[in-house]
Amino acid sequence: MASTACFIIVSRNDIPIYEAEVGSALKKEEAAHQHQFILNAALDIVQDIAWNTSAMFLKAVDRFNDLVVFFQEVHELYIKILLNPLYLPGSRITSSHFDTKVRGLARKYL
Amino acid sequence: MVDPASSFLGKMLLEEITPVVMVLRTPLVEEACLKNGLTFVQMLQPFCVFNNIDVPVRTVSDQPYRLHKFKLRLFYASDIKQPNVEAAEEHLKEVVTRAAEKDLSDLSSDPPQLDDLLAMNSESLPLWFKIFNKELIRTLSFSEHEAFDHPVACLLVVSSKDELPINKFVDLFNTNQLPSLLNDGVMDPKILKHYLLIHDNQDGSSEKATNVLTEMRSTFGMNDCRLLCINSAKDGSEERIGSLWTPYKTDTSPSQDLGCLLNVNDVSEIKDLMQDLSSKHIIPHMEQKIRVLNQQVSATRKGFRNQIKNLWWRKGKEDTPDAPNGPMYTFSSIESQIRVLGDYAFMLRDYELALSSCRLLSTDYKIDKSWKRYAGVQEMMALTYFMLDQSRKEAENCMENAFSTYLKIGSTGQRNATRCGLWWVEMLKAKEQYKEAAGVYFRISSEEPSLHAAVMLEQASFCYLFSNPPMLRKYGFHLVLAGNRYYMSDQKKHSIRTYRSALSVYKGNSWSFIKDHVHFHVGKWYAFLGIFDVAVKHMLEILACSHQSVMTQELFLKDFLQNVEKMGKTYEVFRLQLPIINMSSLKVVFEDYRTYASTAAANVRESLWQSLEEDMVHSLPMSRSNWLEPEAKSSKKDKDSNVCVVGEAIKMDIEFKNPLQIPISISGVSLICQLFPRSEVAECELTEKDAHAHPYESASGEKNDAEELRKLTSNWELNSGVSSFALSEVVFSMRGGETTVVQLTVTPKVEGVLKIIGVRWKLSDSVVSYYNFDSDHVKKKNIKGRKKSSQSSSKNLKFVVIKSVPKLEGCIRHLPGKIYAGDTRRLVLELKNQSDISVKNMKMKISHPRFVIPGSLEDLNVEFPSCLEKNSNSEHNDVQPSSSKQPKSSLFSFEDAAIQGGTTFFWPLWLRAAVPGRISLYLSLYYEMENLSSEMKYRIFRIHYDLEVLQSLDLSFQISPCPSKLQEFLVRMDVVNRTSSENLQLHQLSSVGHQWEISPLQPNEAICPLQLLKAGQALSCFFKLKNCRKSSMFEGSISFHSLLQGHDVRLGPQGSDKALFDVSGSALADFHHHERLQQGKSIQGQQGTVDFILISQLPKNRADHGLEGQSDLPQLFSHHSCHHSIASTSPVWWLMNGPRTVHHNFTVSFCEIRLGMAIHNSSKEAISIRMSTLDVTSSDGQLSDVAAAAQDPISSENQGGWHNVSLGNDIKVTSDALGTQFGKSSSDVMAPFVWAASSSTRVELEPMSTTEVPLKICVFAPGTYNLSNYTMHWEVKLLGVPLSAGDRTRQLSGRSPGHPYYITVLQSP
Repeated sequence: MASTACFIIVSRNDIPIYEAEVGSALKKEEAAHQHQFILNAALDIVQDIAWNTSAMFLKAVDRFNDLVVFFQEVHELYIKILLNPLYLPGSRITSSHFDTKVRGLARKYL
Repeated sequence: MVDPASSFLGKMLLEEITPVVMVLRTPLVEEACLKNGLTFVQMLQPFCVFNNIDVPVRTVSDQPYRLHKFKLRLFYASDIKQPNVEAAEEHLKEVVTRAAEKDLSDLSSDPPQLDDLLAMNSESLPLWFKIFNKELIRTLSFSEHEAFDHPVACLLVVSSKDELPINKFVDLFNTNQLPSLLNDGVMDPKILKHYLLIHDNQDGSSEKATNVLTEMRSTFGMNDCRLLCINSAKDGSEERIGSLWTPYKTDTSPSQDLGCLLNVNDVSEIKDLMQDLSSKHIIPHMEQKIRVLNQQVSATRKGFRNQIKNLWWRKGKEDTPDAPNGPMYTFSSIESQIRVLGDYAFMLRDYELALSSCRLLSTDYKIDKSWKRYAGVQEMMALTYFMLDQSRKEAENCMENAFSTYLKIGSTGQRNATRCGLWWVEMLKAKEQYKEAAGVYFRISSEEPSLHAAVMLEQASFCYLFSNPPMLRKYGFHLVLAGNRYYMSDQKKHSIRTYRSALSVYKGNSWSFIKDHVHFHVGKWYAFLGIFDVAVKHMLEILACSHQSVMTQELFLKDFLQNVEKMGKTYEVFRLQLPIINMSSLKVVFEDYRTYASTAAANVRESLWQSLEEDMVHSLPMSRSNWLEPEAKSSKKDKDSNVCVVGEAIKMDIEFKNPLQIPISISGVSLICQLFPRSEVAECELTEKDAHAHPYESASGEKNDAEELRKLTSNWELNSGVSSFALSEVVFSMRGGETTVVQLTVTPKVEGVLKIIGVRWKLSDSVVSYYNFDSDHVKKKNIKGRKKSSQSSSKNLKFVVIKSVPKLEGCIRHLPGKIYAGDTRRLVLELKNQSDISVKNMKMKISHPRFVIPGSLEDLNVEFPSCLEKNSNSEHNDVQPSSSKQPKSSLFSFEDAAIQGGTTFFWPLWLRAAVPGRISLYLSLYYEMENLSSEMKYRIFRIHYDLEVLQSLDLSFQISPCPSKLQEFLVRMDVVNRTSSENLQLHQLSSVGHQWEISPLQPNEAICPLQLLKAGQALSCFFKLKNCRKSSMFEGSISFHSLLQGHDVRLGPQGSDKALFDVSGSALADFHHHERLQQGKSIQGQQGTVDFILISQLPKNRADHGLEGQSDLPQLFSHHSCHHSIASTSPVWWLMNGPRTVHHNFTVSFCEIRLGMAIHNSSKEAISIRMSTLDVTSSDGQLSDVAAAAQDPISSENQGGWHNVSLGNDIKVTSDALGTQFGKSSSDVMAPFVWAASSSTRVELEPMSTTEVPLKICVFAPGTYNLSNYTMHWEVKLLGVPLSAGDRTRQLSGRSPGHPYYITVLQSP
C-alpha cells in the first residue's frame, strides 16, 4: 500500500519539535508543505477539544486500534527524550536514535 | 437570539423572495424614460420598496394581519428567463475582478496585523462577498421548479405617443416575447394585468393622454388602468432628486444626470402608482389566489380520505421510468399549485401556511422521485423554519437534505446546491455557528469552479476567524486554499491578498514549510504584478531554507535573484540570512601593546601570555591590583575601550556558513566602520549616549530594522568616501553547507576613536546585505584581548586609535615542525623594526627553557656544530655563556641591544628537543620605545610555535661500585634507538662535574663496536667511573663552572678522530642545567649522584633525508641523564687491602695474616667510625636465618639492566642487599678463622680524608675465607652545628656489614 503519512510532535506555542514523513509512497515535493498545512490547521480542533475533555493524554488519545500501539510506543520514546537532562523541553528533538526508532515503529504499525 | 427577519438571511429573503412583476412596454416608453438616463424599470425601482405599507392581509385563517414591509421586483419580460450560464459566469468573474481592482491600492502596504483581524466582525467583511453571493444566487432565478420567481403580475406600459395605444396594449401581451415560463405552461398564463399609460410632459399637454386613459378604462376595466406623467420638470428650475436612483444604477456614468427631468410631482406620482399597484392589486390578488389554492388543496389533499387516495394514486405512478427531473408538472397540476400556494404564503409572510404546504409537497415529490423539486421544497421548508424561528434543528436538517439532494442529481443541481449552501451558511451565521458555517462553505467550494470555490473558501476562512474562540490556524489554512484557487482562476491580486492575510497568522511560527510556501508564492505573484520590491522582500524570508530539497533551494534562490535583477538596482538588505554569520565565532584580533607574530600566537589564551609575562612587564596596566585601590590616574575612557595604533590593522575573523546545499558566491565582504578623528571624539561620545538612550524607545522590531539598515547604509556610504581608514575586501564562494572563516581588516590612518559597526557583503553581485554587530540580542564572548567579558560588544568593538609607535615583527628562522628528541640545533630569531623609531630595553621570556634558550651574539657567527666542539688547544673553554651565570631566571635580557628603525635584528637561539611529545613554545619579547613621549611606553611581541618531538634514543644507566677499588664504579649504559627509521651514530658520553671521571673499561678497546645504531637496535656499553675528588679541592664553594667540567669518552668506532663536544660549552651546559632542574629536585651537585650526557649524530651521508629534508644541517643529538646514584649513601667508604693468596705451612703453626682496612670519609663532616670484628661461631644462629631468607645468589638489583634510580629509598635497599651478601658468605665459610687484635677499633676521620686501619687474622687451616664478618659503625660528628632542614633527612649514623673479601690460604709445600 503506497500511502504517506506525516507525524509531527508539536510543543507548546505551536512549535513543531519533531517531524517525520512516514509511509511507503514516494516523496513528493509538495507533500511537505501540504502536510504541514493540514496538521497545523488540525491543531485548532485539537485545541478546541482539549478544553472539553481530559482524555488528551497521548497514550489514550487515538481510538483507532491500529494506531494506538504506535502512539503508545512513541510516547515511551518521547518520555525517554524528556528524561534526558540535556534536552530542553520544547526544543527540537534532534536525536537520530529517536528518529530511527519512530520510523521503525511507523513501518511496523502504520 | 436575533429576530430572524432582521438577520442578514432574513433581510435577504425579504428582498429576494418577493413578488415579481413582469413589465411589458413599448419602445416609446423606454425612450421617454431614457431622457432621464434611466430605463423604465430603473425609474420605478426606488419606489418598489415599501418600508411602511401597512396593508391588512388575510390569507387562510380568519385573522387578518398587517404587512409593514413589502417589496416588488420588476423585470422586463425579456429578462424573465434563466440567465445564460456563460454570461452569468462572466458577470461573477467581473464582480471578483472589480473587487480586486479596488484592493490593489493596499497591496503594496503592510499586510494586516493579527490583532486587527481579530478585532474584525462579520460587519466589517468586504462588501463584495455579499454582492458575489447575491449574484451567485441570481444565476438561478426564474427556475422552473420554484414559484417565487414566477411573475405575480404583469405591468403593460404604453406611451401616449404610441399610435393606437389600446391595440398596443393587446399586442404587447400577445407577442411571443413572453417568457418561456408562461409559454411552456409552467405557470398559469392567466396573470394579473395592470395597464399603464406613460405621458411625457415635454411632448405637450396630457389631454390626449387622458383621452386614451378613458378609452383604456373602458376597454380593460376601471381599476386596472392608470396614467403616469413624467418629465414635467423644467430645465434647472427644480431641485435635483437624482440621488434617489444612484444606488440602483450600477454602471453610472458621471456625466449623466439621473432623473433630471423628473420633478417632485412626477416622483410622488410614481410613488402612488407603485403603492396602489402593490396594495390594491398585487396583495389582494395574492390573497385571493392563496385562498383559492388553499381551498383546492384542502379539497383534494387534506383529510384522511384524500391522503389515502393520493397515496394510492401515486403508487400507481411508480412504474413510470425516472425522468432526470422527475415527472413534468404543469401549472394546473396539484403539486405546482401547492408550490405556488407555499411561495405566495411565504411572500405574504404567512409562514405557517407556507410550511404546511411545503411539507405536504415534499412527501409527494419524494415519492415521485422528483428530486430537484423535492430539494427545492426542502430548501423552502428550511427557510420557513428559519423565518418562523422555531426549530433550528429542523431547519438545518432540511437544508442539509436539500443540499445533498441537489448534489445527488448531478450537474443540474450543482448551482442550486450552492445557493442552498449559501442560505444554509447564512442561517448558521445568524445563529453564530461560524465553525459549522465554515464547513458548509468548504462543502460548497468543492462543487464550484475554482473562482467561486476561492471566494467560498475565503469566506470560510473568515468564518473560522469569527468563531469563538477564533480558529486562526484554520483561518490561515483556508486563506491559503482560497489563494491557491484564486491563482488557478487567474486572480493574482486576490491570491496575494489572501496569502498576505494568512501570513499574519503564520508569522513567527516555526512550521518552516508553511512559511516557505506562503512567502514564496506571495513573492512570485508580486513579481507577476511587477511589484518587485515587495516580491523581493517576501523572497528574502525563504532564502535560508536549509530544510528544503536542493531543487527547491535552487528554485528559491534563482527566483529571488531574478526578481532582484528585475528591480534594476542593487537591493539592500538588513541582516540577510545567506550566508549566516556565526556571531559566537566572531573574533577580533588587534594589537595594542601586545603584538603577535602570527595568528597562531594571537589565538593563544591571554592568561597564558600573561602568566608568562608576569615578571617581565612590571607596569602592565592589568596587573592584578586590588579592586579596592582607587583607580590609577590613567583615564577611565582608555580603559574602557581597546587601544590600537595608527597604521596597524585590526583583524576580524567572521565565520560565514552557507545553510543551503547549493553554492553561493559572496563578494565585497568588508567591515563597516566609523572613525571619529581626535577632534570629534567628544561628539562621538555624545552620539554614543544617544544610541544608548534610544534603543528601547522604538518598540517595533521592524521599524528598528529599517532604522538600523538606514544607519548602516549611510555609514557605508561615508566609509567609501573617507580616507581615515582602509578596509579590506574579500571575495569568496561557498559550496553547499560550507563554513568559511573570513578575515577582514580595517586599518586606521588617523588618531581618534574607531568603531566597527558591522559587515557588508554582496550575494551574487546583486543583493547587498548589511549586518550590524552592535545588537542587543547577540552576545559575543570570544573577543580577544579583553579581560572583562561582561562588557557589551559595542564597547569591545570600539577602539581608541593612538599615534603610530614602532612595532617589531619577526619570526624564528629554521624552526622545524617535527624533530627527534635530543636534537640540538641553533636557530635565529629575526626581528624587524619597520618604523623610524628605534626600540630598546628588550627582554625575552621563553615558556620552555628546557627546549629553547637564547644564545649569545657570538654564536651567530660561528659554525654549527663545530662551535660546540672542544677547543683543541685549551683544556677548558673559558668562554662562558652569559646566561649560565644566572641561569635561574628564564627572563633573558638583550642587555643594551637596540633595534634601529628600519633595521633587522638577529639573535641566536638554541633549541633542544628535550622530551618526546607535542610542545607549544611561547616566546614573549618586551621592548620599549626610544622616545618616551609616545602614548605607548612599551610593547610586547609574542611568538608561538608548535613543535612535535619524536622519540629517538632511550638511555639508562646502571652504576655499581667497583669491588676492587675504592671510589671507582662500574657504569653500564643501555641505549635503545626508538626512532622509526633513523640510524644514529653514538659520538661521545660525558660525565658532568669535575669529581667524576669517566673512562672506558679497558683503555684501548673501542667501547662501541657498532658504526651505527639502527632503528630499534639496543646496545649496552660499560664504563668505569672514578671519583677523582681530592680533599684539597674541598676549599671554598664549588663554582658552577667546575661542576659542569666533565670528562668525555669517545664512543665512535676505533680510530675516529672526530672532535669531542664540549659539554661544558655554552649551549649544552645550559640545556644540561635545565635538564637537571627538570629531572631532579636539587641543583647542587650532590656527591652521591652523577650526570651523563650522551651525544650522538646522524650519519653524514644518509640516503634518505629524514625529517623535513634538513639533512644539510649537521644534526647533533644530546641526551642528558641526570642524578644517577652511585649506589652508596654511606659517607664512609672502605676497602680491605691485603694479599689474596697466602701460602703457609700449617704444620708449623697457624697462619697469621696482616691486612689493612682503608677507610675514606667522603662527607663534609668529621666522622667517627667504629669497626667491630665478629667471630663466626658467635653469631651463627642469627645469620643463618638471614641466609635462609635471601637464598638467591646475587641480589636482583645487581643483575637487572633497567631500573629507575630512585633517590628516596636507596639507603634501605642497599643496606639490605649487603646484608644478604653477608649472610650468604658466612654460611659458605668452611673453616673458622679468628680476628686477631682488638675486636673493635674506633677511628675519627676528618672530612675527605682517608686512613688505614691495620687488621690481623689467624687462620688455622688452608681454605678460602670470606672476611666479611665485621661491621662498620659510623656517626657524623656535628660539632655543635644545628641541623639544617636538608640534614634532617640525611642519615647521621649507620651500621654497615662488611664487604666480602676472599682470601685463599694454601698449604705451602
